[in-house]
Formats: sequence, C-alpha cells, structure tokens
Amino acid sequence: MYRGKSITELREALDKEEITSEELFNEANKLAHDFQEDYNSFVTIIDDYKIKRRADSTIAGIPYALKDNFSTAGILTTSSSNILKDYVPVYDATVYKKLKKAGGVLVGKTVLDELAMGGTGTTGHTGIVRNPWDKERMIGGSSAGSTSSVALGIVPFSIGSDTGDSIRKPASFGGVVGYKPTYGLISRFGLFAFASSLDHVGVISRNVKDSAIVTDIIKGKDSNDMTSFDSSNINLVDSLDNDIKGKKLFYIKEICDKELYKDSNDEVLNKVLDDFQELIDKCKNLGFEVEEVSIDKSLLEAIYPTYMSISCAEATSNNSNLTGIQFGPRGEGESVEEIMFSARTKGFSELIKRRFVLGSYILQKENQDKLFLNACRVRRLIVEKITELFKEYDGMILPASGGIAPKFNDTSEKLSSRYLLLENHLAIGNFGGFPSITIPFTFVEDMPVGVNITGRIKDDALVLNMANKIESVTGYKDIYSKVGEENV
Amino acid sequence: MYKVVIGLEVHCELETNSKNFSPAPNTFTKIPNINVAPVDLGLPGILPVANKEACRRALFTAQALNCENPDEVLFDRKNYYYADLPKGYQITQNTKPMGINGYLDIMVNGKIKRVLIHDLHLEEDTASLEHHPKYSLIDYNRSGIPLMEIVTEPCMESADEAVTFLEDLRDVFLYLGVSEARSNYGQMRCDVNISLMKEDATELGTKVEMKNINAFNNVRAAIEYEIKRQSELLDKGEKIVQETRRIAEDGKTYSMREKVDAVDYKYFVEPNIPPVKLSKEYLDEIRSNLPELKLSRYLKYIDLGLSEEDAATLSKDRKVADYFEKVIEKSDVATAVNFMTTSILSTLNKLEITIDKLFITPVMLSGVVDLVHKGDISLDHGKKILYQAIDEEKDPVELIKKAGLHQINDETELLKLITSIMDENGEIVRQYVEDGNMSAINFFIGQTMKKSNRQANPNMSKELITKELERRKENGK
Amino acid sequence: MIEKEKLKDYAHKLMFDMDEKEYETLQEEFDVILKQMDLIGKIPNISEVEPMTFPFVNEETTLREDEVGDYLTVSEVLENAKYQVNDQVKVPKVVE
Repeated sequence: MYRGKSITELREALDKEEITSEELFNEANKLAHDFQEDYNSFVTIIDDYKIKRRADSTIAGIPYALKDNFSTAGILTTSSSNILKDYVPVYDATVYKKLKKAGGVLVGKTVLDELAMGGTGTTGHTGIVRNPWDKERMIGGSSAGSTSSVALGIVPFSIGSDTGDSIRKPASFGGVVGYKPTYGLISRFGLFAFASSLDHVGVISRNVKDSAIVTDIIKGKDSNDMTSFDSSNINLVDSLDNDIKGKKLFYIKEICDKELYKDSNDEVLNKVLDDFQELIDKCKNLGFEVEEVSIDKSLLEAIYPTYMSISCAEATSNNSNLTGIQFGPRGEGESVEEIMFSARTKGFSELIKRRFVLGSYILQKENQDKLFLNACRVRRLIVEKITELFKEYDGMILPASGGIAPKFNDTSEKLSSRYLLLENHLAIGNFGGFPSITIPFTFVEDMPVGVNITGRIKDDALVLNMANKIESVTGYKDIYSKVGEENV
Repeated sequence: MYKVVIGLEVHCELETNSKNFSPAPNTFTKIPNINVAPVDLGLPGILPVANKEACRRALFTAQALNCENPDEVLFDRKNYYYADLPKGYQITQNTKPMGINGYLDIMVNGKIKRVLIHDLHLEEDTASLEHHPKYSLIDYNRSGIPLMEIVTEPCMESADEAVTFLEDLRDVFLYLGVSEARSNYGQMRCDVNISLMKEDATELGTKVEMKNINAFNNVRAAIEYEIKRQSELLDKGEKIVQETRRIAEDGKTYSMREKVDAVDYKYFVEPNIPPVKLSKEYLDEIRSNLPELKLSRYLKYIDLGLSEEDAATLSKDRKVADYFEKVIEKSDVATAVNFMTTSILSTLNKLEITIDKLFITPVMLSGVVDLVHKGDISLDHGKKILYQAIDEEKDPVELIKKAGLHQINDETELLKLITSIMDENGEIVRQYVEDGNMSAINFFIGQTMKKSNRQANPNMSKELITKELERRKENGK
Repeated sequence: MIEKEKLKDYAHKLMFDMDEKEYETLQEEFDVILKQMDLIGKIPNISEVEPMTFPFVNEETTLREDEVGDYLTVSEVLENAKYQVNDQVKVPKVVE
C-alpha cells in the first residue's frame, strides 16, 4: 500500500526492494481506474508497464501523471479538446523526454480545462474533474487532473502548466503543493501553447521537497526553446534546508486586509484571512521578518484584465494551427476555408470561441493600442513594482485564494474587488516569470486552502527553501484525500 | 501621357543549411515532405528557434542596400488563415526589420537611378501547393525556409527601371552569396504595385497589385500591359479599380479579386523569440565583408577605359570581377580585358564552371598577359598556350618556358633563317620577283613560323620577309 | 453594447461560427470584459510606458547555429493528416 507516499519514501522502498517499480505502477494504475468514474482525473490511463531503460535518478521507477497538453509521441494527446480528440503526436515534449530518461513511469495523461484556457476543471471534452476533498466542488484548473491525481494519492507528483495560476490555484483547492518555477527554467518545447509569454511548466506534489526533486530533473536550457536558460548553478534540493533567519517577506495590504471585505459577510474569507495572519506569526517565529506593504489598488485591480487581454490575444494566434488540415479531425466542405471553418466550429467549445473572439478583437488594429499594448504596459508596471520590492524583500507571501474550492453552480461576481484582487493576484508570477509556489496552510469548512510564496527570478532555490521551512509549521505536509480507504 | 509609379516587394529565399526556425534541412528537392520538422508543420507544442546565419545574411544584405540595421533581432507574427500556412501565422518582422531606409543605385539606359528601399525583413516561406483539377496537394518542404522580403518605395517609373532593379538586386544577392536567387525554382519572386497619375497630379493614382511573379520578363510584360490597360481606361475617363491581378501566359493581366477592406493581420511581437542584442562590433564585423558592388565596379572599369559592354560583362559576376581586378593589379588592362572577355569567359561557358573552379589563377593569367603585353609572345600564342594550360592543368608561363616558346626577336637570327628558307624555295621567290605574286609573303611567313617552332615574332618576320623579297627583286633587275 | 453582427464577423474571420444564443452570451461577456479593460486605461500616464512582451530580459539568449538537426520522416509528417495523395496532404482545390 504505497498510496499517498512521497517520492523520498518510494525511493527508499524501491532501493530496499520492498516493492518493484512494476508493482508501484500497477497500484497507481488500479487507483487511477478506481477513481476515474468519480473524479475523472485522466484522459488516458496507461495500462501496460513497459519500462525498458534502467535509470539512475531519484524518480527512477516512480509513477507520475502528465497533463494532457504535453506532446507524447505515440500516446494520445488531446489538450482536452474535441479538435484534438484523436491526435497522436509524433514527437516528445522536452519535459516528457527528461522524465522518461530519468526513469519516471507515466501512469496517465490528465484532464485539463479545454486547451488549458480555464480555471474550473469543468471544460475538458471528457467531462468535469471533481475535487477529491468534496465531490460537489471543483478542483480548479486548468491543471485539474494533474492536481486531483496527486490529491487523491494516485501518484506522488504530476506535471502541469501554469499561465495565470493553472497549477498554483488548483493546488490551493486540492491541498497539494503547486510550483511554477522561473520562466525558462523548464523548457516549454512540446507544451501546447496557450499564451506563450505567460506559459510555464511546473510540478504538483504533496510536499516541497518532491517538487524540488522533480524540478532538478526536468529543468535546464533546451536548444528547442529560446526562452529557456542555463540553470546548472541552481540545485533546488540542496538548498531546501538552508537557514532562513532574517529572510524578509512581505504581503500586500490591499489584498489581505480584512477591512476591505467587511461588507461581504463572507465567513470563509474571514477565516482564511485570520488563518493567514496566524501563519504570518508562525513565520516570524521561524525567523522570517514579515512586513505589510501597500501597492496602488488600481494597479492590482488591473491584474485580471491585463491577464485576460494578453492571454486571449496570444491564445487566438497560438491556436490558429488547429484547422484539421495537417492533423486533427477534417471538416467538411468544398474549399479549404470551408473545411477549416467546419473543423473549428465543431472542434471548439463555446467558451474557447468566446476567448478567441475576445483575443482577436483585442489585437485588431483599431483596438490594439488601447486593449493589447496598454495591457502590456500595465504588465511592465506591475512587474517593475514587484521587482523593486524584491530588492528589499526575499519573497512575497499571500493567500493563494480568498476561499475554498467553489461548488459547481458557483457564479461569482467577476467585477468585485474580491474577485479582481484575491482570486487573481497569482498572475503576477506569470507576468514577471517569478518563481512561485503554493502550499496548503489551513482547512476551512473541511476544505484546504493554500498560501503562495513568490520570489525573485532565478532565485527558485530560495523560494523553495522558504516554502520548505513554512511547510514545516503548517501541519499540512504530505496530505491527501483518503477517500476510498475506509472501504479497504 | 501619364506618370507611372511602380513599387516592388521582392521575396528571396536565403541559402542556409537549416530552416529559419527549425533544424530541418533547407535544400531544394522535388521529393515531397522530406525536409520537415515539427515546427514547419505547425504541430501543437512547437517553438521556433531563430537561425543565426539567416539573420546574418539578412543583416548583411540590408547593409549592402545601404539600410540601417536594428539594435536587436526581433520577430513578429502575422496572423492569417491559408492552406499553405500550417501555424496560422507567419513569423516575420514588423517592429524591427533587419534594414530600413536604404537604397540601391542602378544604371538604366545610361543613367543612374536611385531606388529607395523602405525596408528589408526576414520571414519564413510558406508550404507549397500543387494544383490538380479537383484538389490541391500540400508539400511542407518549403515551409519555414528563410525568406527575405525587400520592399521598395513606389519610386520606379517604367518597366525598364523595375526589371533593371530586379536584375541588379539579384546580382547583389549573388555578389553577397546570400542566395542563389533562381527564379525558376521560385527562390526569387516579386509582387508589383503599379498606379498611373496625371503628369501634374500630386496624389498617387489607384494602386493595382500583381502577386508572385517569378520571371523578370513576366514582370516587364505585366507592367507594360498594365500601363496600356490603365492608360486606356483613364483616357476614357473611367476609374481604376483597386484590386489584385495576375499575369497569364498570354502576357495579359486578369483580375483576381477586388480589394474589399484591407486584411488586418493583427501583428504582434513573437513571444517565443526573445530579443537578441546586435552589438556594434557584430554588425561591423558583418559589414567588413561587404564587397564593392556591381555598379561601382562598372563605373570604375569605364574609367579604366573599358567599353560599356566589356565593363558590364566583367562587373556582372563578383568572382569574375574579383579575378579581373587581381589580374590588372599588375598587368596591362586592355590585354587583360581581351583575355578575360574571350578565352576565360568562353572556357567557363564551355566547361560550365565558375571562375573559382578554373585551373588558371589570376596570377597565372597575369603572367601570360605580361608576356603578350611586352611583345615576348603574340596574343594568338598567348591564347593557344592558355587553352593548352587549361587542358593539361599546367601553369601557362611554365609551358612557355619549357617549350622554349619565347619569340625570336633577334633580327640577325631571324634574317638568317628567312634567307635560308628563301634559298631553298627559289621558285616562290621568282614568282614574287617576276610575277609580283604577293601570296609569296604569306608562304614565307608560314614557313618561318614552322621552321622556328612558332617562335618567330610574326610582325618582325613579316617585315623582314617583305624587305628581303624587295631586296632580291632590286638585285634581280 | 457591441453589435452582434460585428461579433459574427470576428468569429467568421477566425474560421468558426457560433449559434445565436452563444453570440448573445458573448455580447454580454464583452460588456463585462471591456469594463474590466477600462480599469487599465485608468492607470495614470499609461501611454508613456514601454509595452512588455517578455517576462524579463535574458541577456544570455543566443541565436541557433545553422546546423541540420532532428526532423521528421515522411510518414511522421503525414501521420495525422486524414487525406493524402503522393506523400502530400490533400485538400479541396485551392483557388488562387
């Protein structure tokens, strides 16, 4: 019974020959199937164990899951969209190549929000993904299945992608660790692009160390990705236990101040913010210096529209290759235009189409300066502001969300301060490419909530080091939903 | 009469090992889909990686066209849907082209014309389409091949100017060695924009666009046809429709589509290719390889006294011009021109090789030119020796030395030979002396050459033979 | 509110269509999002800021050396194309 075990524990068991890699795979495979109907984590579950290569790495022989927007030669890769429902790639994403080489054992390809464009885990073409802690709630997205498969204890880690908060937000809702490194630390080659300047590859696990172990393996400069950089001087695992005494953190008053939301009478929100202050005290006890800083609210409120503008604009262009001509389902018609039109009309869901129209509108000549370039300008202002703060502080600490995972019928007000600030600040990490990690820090109404720590670019080692220390005082390390275990 | 205004958009594929944004080979082949990487197919998850050499060649060409280079390499996306564009966008340059505000001086009908270059940018070629009666086929080999686009200002006024510009531009590409620019392979092709305006008008007339013309003579035909067509319409007081036309095999142009509203390509900076700074040192290093271009050499040759035809012939090809200039560094210009335009160029044609593959080096040719110029050997002999040297792959000057082929320039020695020949051929001498048969002179020249192993100086021989025959004629009286 | 016909035109230029009800939803969504976008315009002196495309400047970025590397076999190129003739992808006749 190795469900819920960490990479370190599995490594030990494998090295002591208490279990074989194939047995681990079989257990994970069974769990994947057992939970598939209720939680729908996977698009594809791999059923045959076929590891030929013996590898010598910490993750050799250890099962993992991969988001279904990473190119895997010979394995169906759908991006959870009908337009790619039968697409079997002919090349491997760099991340997948590195995991294979390190001996990682792929258990399945996980469900995402269609084309990674969404934060609910409800828009994949194979159905909604449910939260392992409460089936009536969302897990969030877009790395929905990658999060739920870890939160269910099926695999010790999974790979996701994060364009606005697609790893770090579901991690908060799922009670797991979600880490998005510095932009370019991990190659994006083979990750189906959503918004190239914001897309990051990252890791989901149940403790900080496991994320560090995996990232050390998959990071590095890639000749196929011009935005990747040489990180041979960065070793995440080795830095985890460094002393953090005197490290300075800040949180943003305009996001965390209870007074701001006093009219909402939201008990969950109040509890989250109270618990956050409690955590701050624990951090201080650990030796951190933590201060509250103030940032112009209008700048913070612009985060979400800025994110929408840039991401939709880039997405419209990035997905123009989905025409059903050189791959994908062929549309019907008498001309090339007609077959493209037919394939795209049938292949995309309504939400995707709406985002594309928006993105295209934003890029139109007459709107581009006001809508797109202004967003790119705000992006700079935000990044410069945070970078300036990072001159004085080693990191930013904020609740990853103002609440717990929403129920499926949730219709939150998209123009409220709460939505614009508390639910969208994680995009700062994407704007500036800052390393950013969410770890579980409290439970409210029996649902987990995560705290996020974001730091300087290329200073991933310090960010994980700080997160590792904070993890030790939350009391929520290595948790997973034990659903199903009572029956065993 | 109307004033014609022509602008050109010239596309030229760059010669590189690999494609512009992928490591697939950049080679011309008729076997479909063998040079294709995931990037060229627009598969999900691909990322472009920009080719250094393609960038260098585009920057270099921009310098040759007197353009300003940018401070960094940056690409943009041009978004549109078409069967030959697998990604649904083309990576090109809009924000920071490899060159802006340049010009190329060309010689048209004896006058220098400055053609203004708006910009030169680097982009990628599309896949190619093969059309069948009921369907089309896509071959992705061409997809992603580095393509340079040169956009001129609307500043040309005739088909002559446009075609000369294209020819000279191609010579620039060849001079720089950036592209083979073979229009029959579609490696160089152009779009022509043409409008007519009244002589005294201040605003440009309505623009008609003709797309993707490969052959330069088709460019001429299309322009001439359009000038005629548009003039006739304007004469009748009719309006020119803004549209895209194509040239057909009959040399006429036909309307393809009227321009509805301009397509919005929604350009934005390509986010997968971070800017790469171009240092002054790097740009200077590229610039240091700039050759002197054709027109400049042509004018220099004219100054050296070459005929327009010879100057044009010798400046057309950079390697030939370089070769020629090496020869005349030390040797006589007129003699060198004679050798170059006859023996050397005909040999290149015959052997179908370029001058750098020729066994005879400029130094070797110089040696022969000098001997001829000093009068040590005749021009004819020089050429004969040259051909022999090419055949046998030997140094011609060595051949001359070995065969002792230096001319006999010594009068006494020559006269001795001539006298002995005449003594042996009394009958021929008699024919000259008594019958005035002038062909006797040629006979004795021939004999003198033969007996001297062609070493006799022919001019001197002729002079001495005539003198000796006249002397004998006087004596015989 | 943005006209529905315009939205249809935009969608068609992106090579897809939606049904009437979906266009109505889109119309409403545009309203909300454009209001959010207005928040951007409210930032003082925004037009003087240089737009940012890349998360940060990486001075180490280099161009690729011009060498042939990995590429696909013909069968890999055609693997996912539904219609092919003579090792090429077949499409309805393209009228130039």
